[in-house]
Amino acid sequence: MTQRGHVLDDTWYLDYAAGALASEAEDVLVRSHIELNDDAEARLARLDQIGGSLLEQLPIGEALPFSADDLLDLADATEGEVVESALPAAPDALSDVDIPPALAAYLARTGVKVKWEFLGPGLRKAVLWRGDADERLWLLKAEPGVSIPHHGHNGSELTLVLKGSFWDGEQEYRRGDVEEAHPDIEHDIRIDPSGICVCLALTCGKLRFDNPLLRAFQVFTGL
Amino acid sequence: MTDLTERPSAAVDSRTMSNLLVRVGQERDRQAFRALFDHFAPRIRSFLLQRRVPKAQAEDITQDVMLSVWRRAASFDPAKAGASTWIYTIARNQHIDQFRKAKRAEQMDETDPSLQPEPAPAADDLCEMSESAQSVGAALETLSPDQRQVIDMAFTEGLSHSEIADRLDLPLGTVKSRIRLAMGKLKTTLGDLV
Repeated sequence: MTQRGHVLDDTWYLDYAAGALASEAEDVLVRSHIELNDDAEARLARLDQIGGSLLEQLPIGEALPFSADDLLDLADATEGEVVESALPAAPDALSDVDIPPALAAYLARTGVKVKWEFLGPGLRKAVLWRGDADERLWLLKAEPGVSIPHHGHNGSELTLVLKGSFWDGEQEYRRGDVEEAHPDIEHDIRIDPSGICVCLALTCGKLRFDNPLLRAFQVFTGL
Repeated sequence: MTDLTERPSAAVDSRTMSNLLVRVGQERDRQAFRALFDHFAPRIRSFLLQRRVPKAQAEDITQDVMLSVWRRAASFDPAKAGASTWIYTIARNQHIDQFRKAKRAEQMDETDPSLQPEPAPAADDLCEMSESAQSVGAALETLSPDQRQVIDMAFTEGLSHSEIADRLDLPLGTVKSRIRLAMGKLKTTLGDLV
């Protein structure tokens, strides 16, 4: 078995490290993945170090219009008002999932409600955000052993496992792993029978099923 | 905006900066914060100007970043990252937050000449480096000029890999493979930091 790395293509980490990802949804997914995956964390740490060293080398320019003491006075005046460290609690709909801090912060900041809706037998979805060009950030909750039949993608899709695991062919994706799907790759997804699987997905374009019944079914589920 | 003419100051020992940051975190040491401010605040502004942030806004964000440095210093772990790396990530994240907020409010006018980027410092000028920056510098030295160019464009101008491909008029696949090769070399030279 050839084990693909279940991390993203390196271009994602560079775009993240440079602050160049296209949307907040991409930020949230990539950040969540980095928080859960040691390999991804190490890749980002190397790039951040380059960012730090380039910061060191930047020119100073003219004097700033404020001083360190101005900021210390401001900090004293606002002390107690600012709570930067407290992590928001996960919503009830995700009480059974240990969600990464980046996702928790996103849910708290946007105030989006996590509402599970029927997607298919044993499958539920909760859409968090819709962007231009049919882009959406959503959560998938799948019962143990469920299959998502043979399909392709009209666009790209990133799927980050938050809980449980799924199989695509011979590859198992566990918590912190990401599967990156492209239009030219066909998938047969099976949820591992050992437990419920919850994923955060960023999808661009509709799924493309071979089976015409499933294509008809898509109209109702919006998958 | 041609006032960014001073050369980088003399090499600063990165351990000194990390120690200052630890003192801020553990002892709320104001003198240590002043020293960090003098070193980093002007560079954070330069970073933001390079990213096409108008000057007044760049100075506002610089304030926010340095306030976060003061407030969050207790969470700095010198075993995991140097002070400059830690502060870079705060500056990057606050810039993105502001950029996304502004974008939601109003699409940025890319053609506005006042929003054009500051020229990046030439590679030749990037000589005075701190101790950890020297190892990063050595790591960057192992990259081919093509690979180095892509990494530099990403960090200095905040361009995504697809924007870099557009700018250099190269196929996306070429830019991607340069990034992958560069990342492979950096892993060899910088190793695992976490």
